Parts: sequence; structure tokens; C-alpha cells
Amino acid sequence: MASKHGLYVHLPFCETKCGYCDFYSVPLMDRPTSDLVSAAIVELKSRLNKGGSIRTVFVGGGTPTVLPIEDFRRFFKALGEGLQGHCLEEFTVEANPATVDAEKMGFMVDSGTDRVSMGAQSWHAGELATLERLHTAADIEPGVSIARAAGIRRINLDLIFGIPGQTEASWGESLRQTIDLGVDHISCYGLTYEPGTRMTAAKNAGRLMSCDEDFELGLYRQAIATLAEHGYEQYEISNFARKGQQSQHNLIYWRQEPYIGVGPSAAGYVEGLRYKNVADIGTYVRWMGERGEAMLDGERVTGADRAGEFLLMGLRLVEGVDLDRVSRSCGLDVLGVLAERIDRMADLGFVRLEGSNLSVTAAGREVADGVISELYSALDGRCEQTVSLPVLQVPRSGD
Amino acid sequence: MFNRQHIRNFGIVAHIDHGKSTLADRLLEHSGAISKRDMREQFLDDMELEREMGITIKANRATIRHTYKGEEHMLNLLDTPGHVDFHYEVSRALAACDGVLLLVDATQGVQAQTVANAYIAVEANAEIILVINKIDLPSAHPEEVALEVEQVLGLSADEAIFTSAKTGEGLDELLAAICERIPAPEGNPDAPLRALVYDAKHDPHRGVVSHIRIVDGVVKKGDKIRMMAAQTDHLVTEVGKFTPKMTAVANMAAGEVGYLFAGIKTLVDVNIGDTITLASNPATDALPGYQAPNQMVFCDFYPGPGTETAALREAMEQLWINDCSFTYEPVTSDALGIGFRCGFLGLLHMKIIQERLERESDVNVVQTAPTVTYQILLNDDTVEQIQSPSEMPDLSKIVEIREPFCRANIIIPAEFIGVVLQMSLERRGEHVKTEYLSTTRVMITFNFPLGEIIYDFYDRLKSFTKGYGTVDYEVTGFSGGDLVKLDVLVNNVLVDALSVIVHRDKAQFRGRRLVSRLRKEINRHMFEIPIQAAIGAKIIARETIKAFRKNVTAKCYGGDITRKRKLLEKQKAGKRRMKNIGNVEIPQEAFMSILDPGD
Ligand SMILES: Nc1nc2c(ncn2[C@@H]2O[C@H](COP(=O)(O)OP(=O)(O)OP(=O)(O)O)[C@@H](O)[C@H]2O)c(=O)[nH]1
Ligand code: SF4
Ligand SMILES: [Mg+2]
Repeated sequence: MASKHGLYVHLPFCETKCGYCDFYSVPLMDRPTSDLVSAAIVELKSRLNKGGSIRTVFVGGGTPTVLPIEDFRRFFKALGEGLQGHCLEEFTVEANPATVDAEKMGFMVDSGTDRVSMGAQSWHAGELATLERLHTAADIEPGVSIARAAGIRRINLDLIFGIPGQTEASWGESLRQTIDLGVDHISCYGLTYEPGTRMTAAKNAGRLMSCDEDFELGLYRQAIATLAEHGYEQYEISNFARKGQQSQHNLIYWRQEPYIGVGPSAAGYVEGLRYKNVADIGTYVRWMGERGEAMLDGERVTGADRAGEFLLMGLRLVEGVDLDRVSRSCGLDVLGVLAERIDRMADLGFVRLEGSNLSVTAAGREVADGVISELYSALDGRCEQTVSLPVLQVPRSGD
Repeated sequence: MFNRQHIRNFGIVAHIDHGKSTLADRLLEHSGAISKRDMREQFLDDMELEREMGITIKANRATIRHTYKGEEHMLNLLDTPGHVDFHYEVSRALAACDGVLLLVDATQGVQAQTVANAYIAVEANAEIILVINKIDLPSAHPEEVALEVEQVLGLSADEAIFTSAKTGEGLDELLAAICERIPAPEGNPDAPLRALVYDAKHDPHRGVVSHIRIVDGVVKKGDKIRMMAAQTDHLVTEVGKFTPKMTAVANMAAGEVGYLFAGIKTLVDVNIGDTITLASNPATDALPGYQAPNQMVFCDFYPGPGTETAALREAMEQLWINDCSFTYEPVTSDALGIGFRCGFLGLLHMKIIQERLERESDVNVVQTAPTVTYQILLNDDTVEQIQSPSEMPDLSKIVEIREPFCRANIIIPAEFIGVVLQMSLERRGEHVKTEYLSTTRVMITFNFPLGEIIYDFYDRLKSFTKGYGTVDYEVTGFSGGDLVKLDVLVNNVLVDALSVIVHRDKAQFRGRRLVSRLRKEINRHMFEIPIQAAIGAKIIARETIKAFRKNVTAKCYGGDITRKRKLLEKQKAGKRRMKNIGNVEIPQEAFMSILDPGD
């Protein structure tokens, strides 16, 4: 296996569940975590044994840093060992400002971690309370310091805008504080109300007023302008980085390159097969024990569907998508199929076609969902469709 | 040959749901035509849609035997539909009858279609037996209802027969009245054959079956018959009766009702109302035929998602072979492409045809809002009929736009006179008269522009009168009015399929309703969309759909792309139900939004 892969590991525990979160994670309480950690290590080893080299790692969740110290150490030790001999470009671990400490940071660094991503979300106490975040604004700076003290140079902070009650001033303050910390990467996400979350319930019950859309757009523009001013270049709809500091791991997703997923609910894309692990800790542990893997389903995405994926991920990037590459990889003339819509949207000022490179303009990014959906829906029935594989098919190795 | 003196041909007519089909059930059962075991409610309603909707759409016939005073009688009964859209079906059916049972629900009294159907019966010269039905219900007040009928229709209350089609009470008395009071058919079995084709159906295996009533002469298998109007000859392969199953008989003679197969392939070759005679011994005069039903409501059917125009065409042809009560011809719309302009007898008829199309042929239909026919007097003195606002000629050529009018009878409890008058006047109704049916109920007669009442008047009337009001109408002719064409522009593009013709006084109001309705129907796009209503170049209403941005910046977690792709798949599927006009996706439902009631 020649291609280089990303590796994503999902550790599905959090201290408490944030009000807006719909990722697969469960509050830790007094739950034992060792079975899960053992099972994840088994999956990790088995996947790494299939060959192929790893070039980026991202350990996320959940909040990996909430793991009890023993399990934390055991996991990162196994991970570090497993990655011996791989030539890593980037190794990121997600950390919560409130649960990170020097000891854990030490284990991380020992395993090879060179980048930390922290969910700061906001520097405003009221907003953090609305989001039902565990940490306070005062935890953010110490969190960053702990990472730096352990020798981590590359740090990302996540921020959220569109929080009920947020103002231009408070958002500006969050941006400024984050910039002042001198991190090299900042992500700005718009708050979304996902089904089944407490904030969505509160909103539906009228207890929470979502922020006005136009106002939210204003905050987004404010972020782009402020960050640009301070040397953070927007390279993706929600992501900003100092020169050369883009997240290599996330670029793998956006560019449709292969990655391995490990842990409950983790998704992977290996040799043309997309798979997703079961999103339930108990089942995951059992399946790993019984059958040595925990895939819930898999599909081999081809043709128009595959082209759709290229667009839906790639157009988020400022650099755009090379349609020739997409055509080659999907076996259909994507440029031909999309020509009319591209024209239409170029006229509207939403996309730009340069040679075979299609990208979304700044105006287009503000309505990117629509742009992508529009292009996606034109990829229709002109080629073979995705073949859904029977549940639990194991990806072939070799080739 | 059956003794003609003992034949009775009669129809059952009534307002909707007064129990016609149920009474037919009892008669079939009583005569032993259907065993208790085979019996199901409204047996004669054999169309799937009839059974589902619980209404009769096509007139159905059955022949039963009944012994009265020691003599065997042959009773040919016809169950008819009650809904106003199918009056033509009733009048057609009654031409094959010598009498009718006019059913009135003992709890509801005279209703609008009671009156309309009674008039049809009078016109057909049929002997009317008044039957007050549903006397088993606790709220029945049959005597009062009989008096009401006497008051309104001049039928003697003393001669009314009280029945329950549910329990069978009063059935013997009713059968006696049928034998006593309905005259035996006239006609001469020895004269040259004259048989009226009063209906025809298509059987996929055996071709066309003509439903006939023999007026003179005899017909049997092997006869060479001639269709007098069509001037075509055919060889009879079977004659028979509906018992109610089709059952072959040796011959049929004057006075009898039944069916006939003559190797005819398609319904196009059979004119309902035509007279059948013998090629060897033709009659000189044909029987008076029927007027073809008059389609008053038009709308366009376009192929919907996953349906090709060719498939829709085939489906329409197929259905038309079975039911030529609607018309269709190809049309092209800028907005919707190639489809068919279809004519219907009314809104229910339209819904039924659409439903049958989709059901029987598995096609998907996008339907535009229905409209009535308009006549346009042009400045060269010619009159043009248009069946769609988009056919409206250039304004500079128009002298006058004429719209169809109808006379409507509305029956309501007296307490609702005020609201009904109000709502009728708002619909440009012209009050003709108000008659008291009893101390508590009135019949109000109005002249209305057909376009004002055809779409939702009945529903509104029902809701304004707590369900008690009923209405029936009859088209009377065309008359000029101050009408304008209201156009809709979506993102500055005129959408022909959304134009409507409205009265000038209402244009502003309708325009505002229309744009606000469309604003809700059309999804937000990546850009702002103005929606405007205009008369000519003048914009009279405007709304804007704001640009859509949602979720763009949502956290894009890990590699779970499948979930996102599924979401886009869904949107893609949704888009297939849209028509793209001027960069804007307009959902199919929007084309019907013109129908939105005006208040
Ligand atoms: N209690 C009672 N219910 C009856 C009687 N006759 C009919 N019904 C009920 O009234 C409803 C309508 O009866 P139908 O026989 O379908 O009425 P219809 O006149 O054929 O209706 P359309 O064909 O739609 O015009 C059904 O639910 C019957 O069961 C009766 O004598 N007593
Ligand atoms: S810390 Fe992250 S994963 Fe955990 S609940 Fe909060 S948002 Fe979700
Ligand atoms: Mg009926």
C-alpha cells in the first residue's frame, strides 16, 4: 500500500455534555474507560498492521484529556509505539482547557504529539454558560501555557460565533484574546442547532432565541477581517492559519485523501471504502472482542457520488477543487456535467473557474451550502452510483 | 321474451351521501342477486377510488328480479353519483329510465343536489317516487322532511315512502311502489331495432362494452348492427344483463336494459347517445342523443419527477379510453415544458382524473391551478375561447373579456343567511331570490361568475355554516366583466404557469395573497428573490425571499462525510420536485398556490 494516510482516533468521553454538542461522546461520570481504551488499542494495532504509512494523526472525541491518568498513559503509549517508523507531518490532540494538565501533556508529547487543538469557544462567561461549557475563560490561557511548557509549538483554538446574546463587541473581544495568545491556527464555527441537543430543545421550547442570521453573517465577516488583519489567512470556510500552519490532517478530509478511523463512531476512508464504526461504547468493545473490528457499515463510493464528495469537501477550501483530478478519479466528465451550473453561479459571483480549478469566492462562501448543494444536485444519474456493501465487510488490504 | 309490462327501469338519485348506493345494496340483497356472504357495502361502487372515497363516481346498473302480486318483475336499477360534477352522468343515465327514486336523508332534509337531481328527473320525464331514507337514525324527522320536499319540489308528502337503507325497513313498500307507480317502458318489440347507447366502458380483454336500453325491436347475438350516427356496422358477439355481474342472455327486447359486445376496440368508435339499429332492417329516425358533457374547468398536467412526457401521454390516452368525460390536448409552457391542457367537469372530477392517472399508470403529474374558460372579444369582432391565462391575447387587441356565469342554489339553515349573503357578495354573487323551505331552512339563489365559486366555495360554505350548507350550480352562459390578467414574476422572470385572470377589484388583494403564498412555498436561495405580482407592466404586490446561508460554517467534524453526502442526496431528491425558472427552484406545490382561498 503506497498511499499515505491520516489517522483519526475517537475517544468518546467528556466531563459533561455541552449544550450544543451532537458528537458521539458520553459524560464520563464514574464510567470505567479501560475496556474502551483496550479495544481502541486493539483496533489501532490491527489497522496499522494492514500496512500503509501514516502521515498525520488527530486524536479527538469527546475530550481525550478527560481519560483517567492510567488509561490516558496506556493509550498514548500504545499510540506512540504504533506510530514508530511512520514519518509524521503532524500529530494533533484535542484538549479541553479545563482538563489538561502537565502530566497528561507530558504523555502526549512523549507519544509524538506536536500540536494541540483546544475548544476555547468564547472568552465571555455568559456565552460559555449558554453553551454549557465546562471551562471558564480563565482556563484558556493556562491551558495554552501548559501545552507550550511541554514544548508544543502548534496550537489551534476553536471559537464559536452566533451564540445567543453574543454582540459584535463580545465577539471582537474573543477574537482579540485568542489572537493575543499568539496561537498559529484559529477555527471559527457558527453555532448550529443540531437535532437532539439541549440547546435545540431550549430553542424549540422558546427558552432560547437563536441569533439573527444577518447578524451572524456580520460576525463571520468580522472574524475574517480581524483575523486577516493579524496575519491569519483563511484557507477554509471556518479555518484560519498563520503561514504554513494549516491543519494537514483536516486537509486530508477536504482533499479526499485516505484516512483511517479508530474508535466508536469514527469514520475512515481506505482504498475507496468508506466505513463507520458503531457509535456505542459497549457495542464497540464487544464487537472488537468478538470479531476484531467494529464497522457498522461501509460503502464503496464511486462515480457521481464520489465526485459529489470531492465537491462537498473540497469547495470548503479557499484553494478549491481541481475538476480534472475529480474527473479522472470518478470516471466522468465533471466539468462537462457541471458547466451550465458553474456558469450560472459564476455569473452570480459565487464561484470562479480558472483552468480546471473550481473555487468558491468570498461571496460564495457566505452561501456555500447552497453553492455546494446546487452543484451536487447536478451530478445526476449519468454514471454508476455508489455500491453499498453488506454490513461489516472488511476493507481489503494490499492491491 | 320477458313481458314488457313487468319491466321497470329506474334510477336512484339524491344529494351526496343520502344513501343511494346503500339502498341499492338492500335491493340487490332482497332480490337474492347477491348472497349475504358476497355482500359488501355500496356493492355497485366497484371502482377502487369509489370505494376509498365512499362516493359514487360512475352510474352503475343492475338488473334484479322481484315477484310482485304473483308476477315476476324485472327491475333495472341505476345507482347514480350525487356530486355536482357528475350531473351529466345522472342525466345521461336517466334517459334510460322511466322513473326515479328521489332519496332524501331524514336527518338532513332537502339539500342542494336533491333539488338539482329532482329537476334532472323532471326533465327526463321520469316518474318520481319520493323516498325518505335513514329513518333508523335517532335524529330522523321523516314527516317534516317529506313536507319540506312537498314545499320545495311539489311532490306530495303523502306519497313519500319511509325507508332505512341500513336496516331494510320499508323495503317491501318501496318495491311495491316501484312496481305500481313506475310505468312499464313503452316501445314496440316488432318495430325496427332502436337501442340507446347510454354509457360505454372499455374492457381490456374484450373491447368496448356498450350499455344500452332497447327502445324498439329485439337484439341478439349474431345480429349485424349499425351505429346510426357513426354509420359503422358491427357484429354482435354477446348481449346480456347486469345481475349485477355481466350475464349473457339470448336476446333483449324493447324496454330492457343491458349490455352488448360487438367487437368494437376503442371507445373512440362508440358515441354515447348514439342509436343502435339493425343493418338489415334499419330504423328511420335515431333517438334523441345527449349533449356531450361540457368541460368548464381547465388545468395543465405536466410530467412530474421521474415521468417522461411520452409516458404521461400514454397514460392520458389509456384513461381517456375508459372515461372520455375529460379532454386533453398538448400544451407548452415556458416554465413547465411540454404537457397537456385538460378540461374537467369540476374540481372533484379533476382530482379524480389526476388520481386515476397516477394510480392506474404509475406516472407523476405536476398540476397547475385550475381555471375556467374565458371568451375574449377581439377588436376584429371575433371571439376567442381561452382555457389558460397564458393564452390571453395582447391587451391592445382585447375589447372585452367574458367569463362563465352560473346559477347557484344554496341551501342553509336560516340562521346563516347573513354570513352566506356576505360571502356570496364578496364573490361577486348577484342575489336572485331567497325561499323558505321550512321555518328554519332557506334556499338562496345567486348568479355567480363560475370562477368565483368553483374552487373553494363549497368548503368555505361548509365551514361558515357548521357543515350544514350545500350548493349546486348550473352554468348559464358567458358575460363580460372587468377582468385582468395577473402575472407573477419570480426573480424578475414572468412565470406563465402562475398567471391568473381575476376581477380588477380583487387584483390587488389576490396579488398580495399570491406573492405571500409563494414566498412561503419557494425555498430560500443563495441570493435574494423578489416575487412580484403585476398587471401588465404595473407591479401591484411584492415580497422578497431573503438569501439563505444556514450552517455554512458549522463545525465540520472529522471524516464523517457520508452523513453530509446523505443530506445533500436528500436535497438533490427535493430539487427533482422543482422547476427551475430564472435561477429559482419553484416547487410543484407552488403552481397550485394560486388556489389559495381569497380570505
Ligand atoms: N343509519 C343509516 N345510514 C345510512 C342509511 N343509508 C345510507 N347510510 C349511510 O350513509 C352513508 C352514505 O351512503 P351511500 O349509500 O354511500 O350514499 P350515496 O348517496 O350513494 O353517496 P354518493 O354516491 O357519494 O352520492 C354511508 O355511510 C351509509 O352507511 C340509512 O338508511 N341509515
Ligand atoms: S467537549 Fe466537545 S465533544 Fe465534549 S460535549 Fe463538549 S463539544 Fe461535545
Ligand atoms: Mg353512491
